[in-house]
Amino acid sequence: VASVEIPQKQWPELISTLLNNMNQPDQPASLKQATLETLGFVCEEISHQDLEQEEVNTVLTAVVQGMNLAEHSPDVRLAATKALYNALDFAQTNFENEMERNYIMKVVCETAMSKEVEIRQAAFECLVSIASTYYELLGPYMPTLFELTSNVVRADDEAVALQAVEFWSSICDEELELQDFESSDAGESGSPHSCFIEKALPALVPMLLETLLKQQEDQDQDDTIWNLSMAGGTCLGLVARTVGDAVLPLVMPFVEENIKKPDWHCREAATYAFGSVLEGPSVEKLSPLVSAGLDFFLNLMKDENSHVRDSTAWTLGRIFELLDVISSENLQKVVMVLLESVRDAPHIAEKVCGAIYYLAQEFEDAGNNSLLSPYLTEIISSLLATADRTDSFNSKLRTSAYETINEVVRSSNLAESSQIIAQLLPAIMNKLQQTLDLQIVSSDEREKQSDVQASLCGVLQVIIQKLGSADETKPAIVQYADQIMMLFLSVFACHSSTVHEEAMLAVGALAYATGPGFLKYMTEFSKYLQMGLQNFEEYQVCSITVGVVGDVCRALDDKIMPFCDVIMELLLKDLHSNVLHRSVKPAIFSCFGDIALAIGEQFEKYVRHALPVMQHAAEVCAQIETTDEEMMEYGYQLKRSIFEAYSGILQGFKDTKSELMVPYAPHLLQFIELVCNDKQRDESVTKAAVAVMGDLADALGSNIKLLFKDRVFYIDFLGECLQSDDEQLKETATWTQGMIGRIMVS
Amino acid sequence: MAPSDHRRPYKRPAISDQQRRRDHSLLRQAQNRLDAQQRARCLASSILSLENPETDSVPDLDSTTGQEQS
Repeated sequence: VASVEIPQKQWPELISTLLNNMNQPDQPASLKQATLETLGFVCEEISHQDLEQEEVNTVLTAVVQGMNLAEHSPDVRLAATKALYNALDFAQTNFENEMERNYIMKVVCETAMSKEVEIRQAAFECLVSIASTYYELLGPYMPTLFELTSNVVRADDEAVALQAVEFWSSICDEELELQDFESSDAGESGSPHSCFIEKALPALVPMLLETLLKQQEDQDQDDTIWNLSMAGGTCLGLVARTVGDAVLPLVMPFVEENIKKPDWHCREAATYAFGSVLEGPSVEKLSPLVSAGLDFFLNLMKDENSHVRDSTAWTLGRIFELLDVISSENLQKVVMVLLESVRDAPHIAEKVCGAIYYLAQEFEDAGNNSLLSPYLTEIISSLLATADRTDSFNSKLRTSAYETINEVVRSSNLAESSQIIAQLLPAIMNKLQQTLDLQIVSSDEREKQSDVQASLCGVLQVIIQKLGSADETKPAIVQYADQIMMLFLSVFACHSSTVHEEAMLAVGALAYATGPGFLKYMTEFSKYLQMGLQNFEEYQVCSITVGVVGDVCRALDDKIMPFCDVIMELLLKDLHSNVLHRSVKPAIFSCFGDIALAIGEQFEKYVRHALPVMQHAAEVCAQIETTDEEMMEYGYQLKRSIFEAYSGILQGFKDTKSELMVPYAPHLLQFIELVCNDKQRDESVTKAAVAVMGDLADALGSNIKLLFKDRVFYIDFLGECLQSDDEQLKETATWTQGMIGRIMVS
Repeated sequence: MAPSDHRRPYKRPAISDQQRRRDHSLLRQAQNRLDAQQRARCLASSILSLENPETDSVPDLDSTTGQEQS
């Protein structure tokens, strides 16, 4: 009730009524406990603007007094500590006042040493929240906080120790965010970076390394477990990202000392510690360590203990992800070890798939003579066998195996691998057909079928896109196009949105590969296009479908016309929707351009519907908040897509109906000018702007000579583009210059 | 009160292949769109050169605007 009424100021007496319960010394403890719990709930539900500062002060006073050891029972103190956790967001003004801050911190730190475990845990939760909310004010308290957390991590109950580790992880989060901000903003930072992690490093890292030795026997098999060694390793990873090279001298002796010990806890801790610090330090410092240790880690994949093998597989994956250590000398051994280990227990095999994924990624830009090419057949066969394993109790291993196949295919050198990939295609089609032939009885079976189909559609999409990317290999797709499309249509008929998304992506790739031949599938496929365009809730499906409409337009050109009325109607509805996620809208404008370019003058009937929406969106662009980075990025997407829409329409009308666009030209040119005036604009926006300006001049010719004469901004803009280092931009600007030049002399 | 859950990703790959598939599709579509529009523009250039067989290069913008001003 309070969450509704307090923001509307309809229950002004609530807080004072509750506080009255706290201020009467003779009230029973149970009432105080219930009152504090209620205050906690209320604070959790409402926003800090909903209370006056005076109310915040009295709430905080009551809550902090409730935490007082001498006066209250454990139940009251626990309720008060939990209430403080929810009230911390409100305490901005109080934290800015040194005296009040000192008092709150003193009480929280005292509470963090309470006798009762639950109260200590709640107090540490408050400290975690304070670490992220009031980072910049923590300096004077850090020595105390280090001592507190250090004692707890070493000796306290695990629930409390987890919070103490989380306190340091939160400090890392804050410092990483500040570092990101500084690096992206040329050193001008709003808040100071206090280097707490760097200062605490010599004591913090040994403390975290100790936690790594506290593993549980079943932690790798059970996803619900979260324990001290897991939290400690995660925190160590954050510390490495925060301080970089400085972490290595503190961690490497631990790794070297423990990695050969007879106790598996030591070996696992060593390999996990090493894997954790691979992101952050410089490549120069890490490369020699990794090169020296790689062989050792490969041998550790044969360790007698499964936890050691699991963490080593993860560490190898991190090595391949973050460093470039593979050479012709060590590749064979790496591949052999990984293909042997992918037959290990499911949780280990899943990490090995991850390692193969990143190993393949290392060869993404290898060009001809990719070192990995000779191993592709064997790698793909092993991964297919892994996907078929029946000993995995959930689908994660199968999904990882198929996703790894995706990366192997994507990263392969097409000339060297096209035959292998072409052979993979019918094998995957066959597997997809098998899922369709299954008799489905239970919902579990349906879910499993849907998961497998999604994975297989993903693999098909990647194969189609890979083989479809070159004229020489396209026939390998086209020969199976009918069967592939039949499979996708059957998958669509299964009605699961996850599968729809994957199948839709794959259909887009197929339309590109088949070109005009895609027409024969349109009658059947268009109903799924329509379903996708109407899927407001799962906006990713909608967004992907919009992209596929573009693919189909380019494949069919004006043969798409019979399907355009319904598509345009749905796209316009999507644009008018308040429910649909905003990220879909730029894609729709680009799609207008695709449709217009495909159907040319036949776009005429859509002009009176589409152009006003485009003009409105252009006006929205002008009002977008420029201080919010995410909104600015969205603004760029929107601007680019509106330009793409105009480009497609202008080019489509150019030969026969260009006069239809004359009334819209002033608004477009005004919009281009507005965009040009933004000197921070993204380069992709610049490219689209200069291109559409050329299209405008090209399509409308002397009809708009006066318009250009009145607006001379374009001269500077073209000059800027012509001086760019980007050849493509310069080429388009030269063309635009020619188009405008032509109308000016006419 | 909601219990605080500070569980973080543990030994998990940092990227999602599904997102990679989406990104690759978007990249291909953007490239295909650009190619299609550029093809339309190249066509325009060739028509321009057919229309003005005596013109070796595209008109110089500065000189044309100069003419307009004079």
